Amino acid sequence: MSTKKQKVIQKKLPREVYSALKNVAGEQWIYEQRSVVETYSKLSIEGGSFVKKHEKDPHVLPACVVLPASTNEVQAIVKICNRYHVPFVPFTNGQVFCNPTTQDPTLIIHFSRMNKIIRIDTQNMCATLEPYVDYGMLQAEAMKRGLWNGGTPLATTLCKLASQFAFAGLWQTDLKYGLFSRNIVSVKMVLPDGEILTTGSRCIPKAGDFFEYGPGPDLMGLQRAGVGTNGIVTEITVKLHSWVGDESIPDISAGRPSLVDVHDPKYDNPDKPLKNHKLFWCEFDDFETQIKAMREIAHSGIAIGLNATGVYSAFYCSQTQAMTIKRCEEKFFPEWNCYVILANVTSDKQIEYEEGVLRQIIDEVGGRFLSESYKPEVLEALKPWNYDCIRHSTGYRMNRKFYANAWLPVGPIDSAVTTQREWKKALDTFGELDITDRGGAEDTPFIYALQRGHFCLFETDNYPDPTLPDEIKKAQGFGIYGAAAVVKNSLGPMLMAFLNVEPFTTMFPEAGPDSHLFMRKIRKVFDPNSVAAPGRQVFTEQEWQQFPEAVKNIVNKMREMNDMPAVE
Amino acid sequence: MTILTDLKNILGEEKVFNDDENIEKYSSDQSFVQPRKPDLIAFAENVKDVQEVVKYANKTNTPVVPFSSGLNFHGGTIPKEGGIVLDLSRMKSIQVDDNNWHCVIEPGVTVSQLQDELEKHNLRAMLSFGVHPDRSALTSYAERDPAVAAASFEYGNELIMDTELVLPGGDLYRTGLWSAGGIPGSPMGPVRAMIYRMWTGAQGTLGIFTKMNIKVEYLPKKRKVFLLQFDSFPEAMEPLRMIQRKEIGHECFLINNFNAASLLCKKWKVPEQFPAEKAEAGEFDALREKLPPWLLVLCSNGGPRMPEGKIKYEEEALQEIFSMAHLRTCDDGPIEDMFLKEMLRPWGILKKFCYSGSVHDISFKTTLKRVPEFQKIVMEVINEHNYPLRDIGMYILPIERGRAVHCEIDFHCNPRSKDEVEQVKNLWHVVSERFIDEGAFFDRPYGIWADMVFARAGTYTQKLKELKRELDPNNILNPGHLCF
Ligand SMILES: Cc1cc2nc3c(=O)[nH]c(=O)nc-3n(C[C@H](O)[C@H](O)[C@H](O)COP(=O)(O)OP(=O)(O)OC[C@H]3O[C@@H](n4cnc5c(N)ncnc54)[C@H](O)[C@@H]3O)c2cc1C
Repeated sequence: MSTKKQKVIQKKLPREVYSALKNVAGEQWIYEQRSVVETYSKLSIEGGSFVKKHEKDPHVLPACVVLPASTNEVQAIVKICNRYHVPFVPFTNGQVFCNPTTQDPTLIIHFSRMNKIIRIDTQNMCATLEPYVDYGMLQAEAMKRGLWNGGTPLATTLCKLASQFAFAGLWQTDLKYGLFSRNIVSVKMVLPDGEILTTGSRCIPKAGDFFEYGPGPDLMGLQRAGVGTNGIVTEITVKLHSWVGDESIPDISAGRPSLVDVHDPKYDNPDKPLKNHKLFWCEFDDFETQIKAMREIAHSGIAIGLNATGVYSAFYCSQTQAMTIKRCEEKFFPEWNCYVILANVTSDKQIEYEEGVLRQIIDEVGGRFLSESYKPEVLEALKPWNYDCIRHSTGYRMNRKFYANAWLPVGPIDSAVTTQREWKKALDTFGELDITDRGGAEDTPFIYALQRGHFCLFETDNYPDPTLPDEIKKAQGFGIYGAAAVVKNSLGPMLMAFLNVEPFTTMFPEAGPDSHLFMRKIRKVFDPNSVAAPGRQVFTEQEWQQFPEAVKNIVNKMREMNDMPAVE
Repeated sequence: MTILTDLKNILGEEKVFNDDENIEKYSSDQSFVQPRKPDLIAFAENVKDVQEVVKYANKTNTPVVPFSSGLNFHGGTIPKEGGIVLDLSRMKSIQVDDNNWHCVIEPGVTVSQLQDELEKHNLRAMLSFGVHPDRSALTSYAERDPAVAAASFEYGNELIMDTELVLPGGDLYRTGLWSAGGIPGSPMGPVRAMIYRMWTGAQGTLGIFTKMNIKVEYLPKKRKVFLLQFDSFPEAMEPLRMIQRKEIGHECFLINNFNAASLLCKKWKVPEQFPAEKAEAGEFDALREKLPPWLLVLCSNGGPRMPEGKIKYEEEALQEIFSMAHLRTCDDGPIEDMFLKEMLRPWGILKKFCYSGSVHDISFKTTLKRVPEFQKIVMEVINEHNYPLRDIGMYILPIERGRAVHCEIDFHCNPRSKDEVEQVKNLWHVVSERFIDEGAFFDRPYGIWADMVFARAGTYTQKLKELKRELDPNNILNPGHLCF
């Protein structure tokens, strides 16, 4: 299907707004040039923004981009937006949810100049960061001091901790350290009305920045996951934990290039994990045994990480996309598996003890360890995880197509079965976009055991060709269907925010129930002038009334397919 | 009286009371908070009852004070503006999820009932030191009472998973996985990942929790307690830091000889009423004399599998620190046994109420390094007020491997002696003020602390007030508390 292509005319901010902004940031840090603003319009993992680009939707193009250097400048910019009623969107790397939300000329506030580690407090184990500090920068500094932040997303240098306060924050070592949510001490935010909010102990003079709750009702918890609608994080203090691995991440020869012509495995196969860490791969006969083993391991109190990966091993450990496909076709990696990360945090004997416990469990459930005598070629191929299960050595390289849609439900570990069943159903209904979409249907979904297995997160994804808008749209369809399917099946969608952004907030009144009504009140308190990505997280009644019927109908259709009534 | 008849019509005769005895009972606690009588007491037996009462209160602009067990010791349930005390103690359901180690509790479930029930499933709840056995477990979690195992990261700060609550307008709301409309099972829900935290430390001013799903843990088969003795707190700081950096042990805390003696005193019992009756102190005095000024208590828990193996490697790591820092252990079987018991049922310390009858604590958070600064302030103020140093109880709990510490400093007085009460009230007030001036962090600023803390919190306070106005426009939920 192709829509009539139009010429995209860039909107401009009123001149008095532009000069007020220029006076704050300085002429060299404000851009209206088309060549510059274009780069802020396509978001690397948001299918919707790709489709809009393909269809030449004029509303993805921001009017202006400003790069502040400090909290004060951010505050001044936000106050200007309030004075002139100009919508703004906070933008870090622009991976997702960073397009303008309305048709009004919109300002992008990009934080790339705010890139300093403000302090590392080794005594009280925390670090305060500006918004453009990434996991790689933080870990490089913290590990030298025998500390680390407890985990890494699958993209060390792309992911910033402050923007993950607004969205995301999932690590492979969440078994012990919990999600990012468990690791925030405080935030300093410029609220949508221009006020500055600090949370936790930091908000009381002389108290210091070490404790995350209060005073009284906890506002930090309320502010988390606002997808840019409830303020801008200009400083974030995160927890640090004891680190027993190498002081710096050893170099792998030539790093892990994603260049197509450098695809020799020797470039990215570290022989063993970091100092004081050990990684075990276990294989099972079926999903049921895998889940049983994972529950037992989580409950045994051992390990810092416990996850299962199906198709991700193919992306991660293949040096080319062709190799990924071949390995998927051949089912090269174990379909039912888990990997366990052990660490000697307390004593040199800890791994030895924990390995004993792990072996007992695997023996009991009837699983097998990959080893030099059992599937050594698979173990060899899995070597990239040796470092990357803890910290990605060179940022991000996965050989797959476009990551355009993800289901990321949470729930007790048994929900893995529901996730798999529903994903399979979706594939049967809509058809796959790529063989890799079968990951999670024919083998294990990515399973992260969180907080000692008290709950888990499951991931299945679609990988369309980014040059084909119809394929991306189909992936989006999976996303909408998924939102309905997970609610219908009592799973909790979270991380990728399916119900945390519109139109899902309003169109799934089951959540809460009626969370959208509650969220409208919160929006009114924090953004009285409706300037912070208005309508991204929750519509006002008026915005909802104006929302296109066509999209409402699509969501309602997916609800219907899951036996849920239409939302008017 | 119309409220009485209206509520009897809504809830039923047997759920509403306004007799003098009941009114008196709900009008005060043992804290210094000014007593105030409610108009009546209504009992809710289910969520619907709670919703009905809250809706009625909105229609009639009547304050509603949620009450679960009233054992908070900080005036949280005193109806500052009169109105309805909504007693939730009849809501007593407990549902244990053996497979996933969660447990859904209602407000009327006491901590001892919870621990008894979980024990049948080979599980345990993480409870806070000094929680009363009859205290509502749900409110203890809602009030963020730090668990004895707070030193371990897993049980440091986040024990709540899903919640069910009644909003100030009377609507039902759920957080966590539960909010997706089905089952509980994760603190993360569809909307704003950590939103439930807004209702913690809130004294029921923003909503009434009717159910809570909490994390529970296995009941350890093997445990071992280690005791270290110190002559002063500063001596304990570096060893404590070393132990925590190595992540040794599950529960870990320090107490002074006053509190240790209270725990060990066999003649004293945990009181049922507060203020309590003063008891004979001979045995206590002898114990206090004999015990070292400070004890560091550390408990190593064997895992569910090969428990000895875990205790062994933890003990070896501990021995290394002992010899490196030339530490003195306190090898005393009966004391160790007593502490083993307290880790699971940590209410023995409440025997301290027997010393004078009432205890007034100042609890706050700070960093380990700053604890001696606050000790110095206490010394200065008690000298000015002629309060004996030996009559102060202290409890210091590292949180999340020592990133923060929770401190509780107790002052004792006989509630029957007006002079003593006046003296301790003044002292307690001055110490609180000096602490807050110097940056002690009162994350739960209850009673007189509220004004002192919220006056300093700028935008945080302003936004809380705006939220309260938006969510509770008639200001019916527990008015007069916090900054509301
Ligand atoms: C290949 C790949 C693998 C990944 N793997 C993982 C993983 O395993 N785990 C994981 O957690 N994440 C993972 N992510 C990353 C995750 O999706 C991003 O970290 C997240 O989307 C934030 O991206 P960003 O920093 O570019 O922020 P942006 O995309 O710029 O912003 C995201 C949202 O936050 C808002 N925002 C941005 N900055 C701020 C701020 N300072 N204050 C307030 N709001 C702000 C924006 O308006 C927007 O709504 C992965 C990403 C990629 C590309």
